[in-house]
Parts: sequence; C-alpha cells; structure tokens
Amino acid sequence: MNMKASGKLQEILSKGEFAVTAECGPPRGANSEIVRKKGELLKGYVDAVNVTDNQTAIVRMSSIAACTHLLQMGLEPVMQMVTRDRNRIALQSDIMGAYSLGITNILCLSGDHQSFGSQPDALNVFDIDSMNLIRTVQTMREQGKDMSGFELKGPPAMFIGAAANPFADPFEYRVIRLAKKIDAGADFIQTQCIYNIDRFKEWIKMAREEGLTEKVHILGGVTPLKSAGMAKFMNNKVAGMDVPESLIKRIAGVPKEEAVKEGLKICQETIAQLREIKGVHGIHIMAIEWEEIVGEIVEEAGLLPRP
Amino acid sequence: MIVGEQKPISEIKEIIAPYKKILILGCGTCVKTCFAGGEDEVAVLASALRLACKKDGKEIEIEEFTVERQCEDEFIREGAPAISRNEGVLSLACGAGVQALARRFVKIPILPGVNTTFIGVLEKQGVFTEECSGCGDCMLAIFGGICPFTRCAKKLLNGPCGGSQNGKCEVNPETDCAWQLIIERLKILGQMDNLRAYVPPKNWQTGLSGGPRKLVREDHII
Amino acid sequence: MTENFKPKITLFHCINAFDEAAELSLTDMDNCEMQTVKMACSSMVKDVFLLKAFEAGADGVVVLVCPESQCRYVEGNIRAKKRVAWVQNLLDEIGLDRRRLALGNMAAGDKAAAAQIINDVLKNLAELGPNPAV
Repeated sequence: MNMKASGKLQEILSKGEFAVTAECGPPRGANSEIVRKKGELLKGYVDAVNVTDNQTAIVRMSSIAACTHLLQMGLEPVMQMVTRDRNRIALQSDIMGAYSLGITNILCLSGDHQSFGSQPDALNVFDIDSMNLIRTVQTMREQGKDMSGFELKGPPAMFIGAAANPFADPFEYRVIRLAKKIDAGADFIQTQCIYNIDRFKEWIKMAREEGLTEKVHILGGVTPLKSAGMAKFMNNKVAGMDVPESLIKRIAGVPKEEAVKEGLKICQETIAQLREIKGVHGIHIMAIEWEEIVGEIVEEAGLLPRP
Repeated sequence: MIVGEQKPISEIKEIIAPYKKILILGCGTCVKTCFAGGEDEVAVLASALRLACKKDGKEIEIEEFTVERQCEDEFIREGAPAISRNEGVLSLACGAGVQALARRFVKIPILPGVNTTFIGVLEKQGVFTEECSGCGDCMLAIFGGICPFTRCAKKLLNGPCGGSQNGKCEVNPETDCAWQLIIERLKILGQMDNLRAYVPPKNWQTGLSGGPRKLVREDHII
Repeated sequence: MTENFKPKITLFHCINAFDEAAELSLTDMDNCEMQTVKMACSSMVKDVFLLKAFEAGADGVVVLVCPESQCRYVEGNIRAKKRVAWVQNLLDEIGLDRRRLALGNMAAGDKAAAAQIINDVLKNLAELGPNPAV
C-alpha cells in the first residue's frame, strides 16, 4: 500500500520542478483575519505555505487552525508539528485531525526549547523526537497503522517533511542525520536559513555522494536580511545559524536606508546559486513577519508564474 | 548520588515559623557529599537560624542531629529520641529521606530543608552534574555511556538538534551538547554505526510515567 | 549609631600573618573589645565558626590572612576568602548585614594593614550598631 498524499507541493516536486514555499507565523491571538491577510500576500506566489507550531516556544494560534484558514482560501499549507508540547497520543490524534480537515503536508520538528519562549516555566514533553515523529507519520501512511499497531480507519497519508541544519555542529554528523531522516520517512527537507553558501555546498555534496539527493527533495531555506544588526543577531544569538563575517560587513557597508535593498540582493544571489546546485529542488522563504516581501522575492527571482 | 541544595534561609524560616522547638536532622550519605545536609551543614544552618530568630525576636530551641542515612529505617531509629522531643523536624535529607521520616513519625511534622535536584556525579570539587533520570530502561550501551534523555535538553534519541554549536547546548552555553559527547565517544570506541541506526520511541512505562515504582527482591524477604 | 556602643570584635587570624601580641593603632582602641582566635592557617576558619562568633555576641568578625599566593599551605587564604564570602551572603539573608564580617590580606607583621582592615569594620559597625541577634 502506498497511499501518498497528493498535494500541489508533492506534485511539483515529483515532476522535478523547482518548488517555492514560504513561512507564515500564526498570530498571538484568535484573530483569523491576520492569517487570511498573510495568506493573501502569499497567494499565487508560492506552492505551499508552512504554518509554524508555536515557533520559538511562544504561544500562538494552533498550526492546525491556521492551516485550515489558509486551506479555505485555496492555499496549500504545510503543517509544522513539534514534539515539544504534545505526547504521542496528542500528536497522532492531531495528525489524523489535520488530515481530516484537508491538510496533506506535515513538517516534523522537535521544536525550539521552551526556555527561549514566552513560558520558560512550562513542562516540555519530548515524549518522542522529530525522527520518531517522521516514522510515525510514515507508518500511518504506508501501513495504515498508528504507533500501537492499530489499523486505522482512513489512515492519514501525509507528504512528510523534515528539517535539516547544515550549519550546526558536529558537521560530520549532519549528513548521517539527514540519512536517518530519509530512512525514517522524510519525503522533503527544508533547511535552516542559508547564508554560508560554501558550507551548504559542502554539505549537499556529501549528501549527493551518499545518494541522498536522489531519495529526498531538498528545499534551501532563505531569509532576507534587513540590517547589519539583524545579521549580527542571527549569527550571535540564534543557535545553529551561520552568517559569514563578509556578509555582515557587506550589509553594514551600505547606507542604512539601503540595507533592506542590499539584504534582498543577497537573498536573490543566494536563490540564484541554490538553483544551480544539483540536488536542490526548491527554496523555502522564511521572511519572518515580513510576508509582504515574499511575492517580490519570487517575482524578482523569475520563479513566476507558479504552476 | 542524589544531589540537593539547601533551601534559602528565608523559606526555611517560613517553614519552621509555627514551631518553638525543632530538630534539624542531617543525613550522612548523598546530601553530605554535596554540602547540603551533612553534619557540617546542620551546624551552619542551626547557627544561622538561631541568629535569624534572635534578630527577629522569636524564641526557638534548635537541636542538631545527623544520622548516617535517612532513607533507611535502621539508621532513622538512632534519631528517634531527638525526633520525639521536638515539635517538628527540619530534615536536610533528600525527598526520599524526608518521606522515610514522615512514614515513621506520623505525629510529628517532617519539614524539608533541602531541594532535591538530581541524580548526578561529582564532576570536580564543588561541581555536581546531572547524569541520570532513573528512567528504568538504561540505554547507555548504545550511546557510548552518555545519557541523551538526561543530558540533552530535548531528550533527543536521534540527535543532535540544530542548536548544537561548538559542542555546547543552545539552552545553556555552559552545558556540553550531550550528542556532541556521544559522537566523540562513539568515534573513540569505533561504534559510529550506532548513530546510523534509528532509535525507536522510548517506552516511558518503566519511568515515572508508569506511576511510582517499586522494586521487590523476593530473595531478600523473609 | 547607638550611644555608648562599644563594639565587640572577634578576630580570626593566621599566625603567619598576624601576631596577636602586636599593638595596633586603632582609631578607637579604647572603645572596642577584641577577642582573638589564632589559627595555624586561615583555611581553618570554617563557616560555622564565623557564625558561632556572632552567636557568642560579636558585633563584627575579622579574618586576617596572608597575601594571596603567599599562603604557606598554598591556597589556605583563598579557601578562607571563599568561606567568608559564603557567610557574608548568609549574614545578608539572616538580616545581620554582610558588612559585619571582613577578610583582609596582610603581609606578615604589617600592623598598619591589620589596623586598616579592623578600622574599616569598626566604621561599618558604627553605622550598623550592635549585633541585633544578641
């Protein structure tokens, strides 16, 4: 039985076309209008929209709900799901619930540690890890069973995504981990924001040598920088982020009012390079609270119209 | 060993506030080693509390005593006379010691003077680190002798996460990334293949999730 | 400050740093009671002894130790410093004020330095008044 989900994202990737996804963070509140507004900004420019799950451990509207709002607007969501907040019972239940609502893509993550968020006093769950979550979703789809082995009535058949960070340590383990995620069942990978393109190339070369790029669709993550301050912050304060000194200098070297433009230029250069790299099947644009820029980035990159 | 830390004086003052005659009861095993509740700490706390109460104009009589181990009835017994002649007992043992006392002396309030923190090792003089969470299903064999449930902030079985940088954990830059340590150790042992294997979800039933645990050794029971 | 307050000071000292027979020129020598406790090395000063000195009625406690890196037992004076810092925190917690306790490094026989350290505590005591836990 191979009941793969059939969403637009999967279709594009399996046809070998270059995919474009973007990120949409749900609001800290119950106002669905905010989600719709963000959806409006992305509609027509991307193939699917990742909806974060209480990102940076800050309490927000649930990913499932925000995904549903986007679905109703005709957008295809990628539901992000972290193992930080729910045990295996809740996770499986939410996967089934989400699929029943029409959500066909999932990105399986461990999640940012709660100590970085708005409620560092919370209990973390981490009953299973992201690897286990990938396998769980795969088992549901391929074998129609939940983790207990129970045969599900109408098993969810999600298109399964996972994250990879080519910039975290230990570097030599990063490709082993990618291989494990693929073995566990990942169909596509969205990477951490790429600024150090040399290191990314090194990583994907290793992945290619192990034949991993044949087994999975890798979407390179990009986030436009707005200022030298942001570049420095990302480099120093965000764990697992690698912004080379030369980039920081470059953006610091232009007049302040030109910084945004320079950041977008850097972003375009990165996208152009990513499109040339064998094994990269798309880009994932994470314009944090700056969804209005996504359309411009995609258009400028010559990636329109979307199929 | 069990590692603990004495509660702040202000909190202890509140805990003992209703009593005029208390016994500070130390434990000579784990908490002695981590400077939280041995004979020396009992003496210091008693002295500090006497000063604090006197300053506040509160009358209190404080007796000091330390037994070898508060989690065993056999040793607790030695403290019985002192315990019985006081209105309350401030135990400087771990939570197990406090409860062992409470079980035996039901009519006397047994109060905690220590926050029990973890099962750990003495990394070096004065430094203690958490190493074990007592999950009841030890998997150290495949992890090179380093426990990821305890020492990875996200309890990752198939780690490390994307936040590991320069061998440190993103949650606390003072903490070594457990997965970095695991990888280094497995490299030395020539067991890097362990990392390629998928580690299935952990069965938490053997841990606290299955409810309070009990160990019965039939061969030692008459 | 309290009228007619004659502070009691307990002086713990390392015999290699300070000689209890030494005459000190204190600002207010007549107006202070001093009790000395000599130790073979300042590392012998334990937290409980410092507290017990306060329990016994001291208004202030001074620990005189050798200069750092000149301890005969290598790190005795460093240990003393750390313990004093620990007890100073306890004194704050109790509400006695950390300024009642001081540690000073002094070269062997440097009476002026010893007097300076004690004078500083006397100054603190003039402000703080008698030990409130007596």
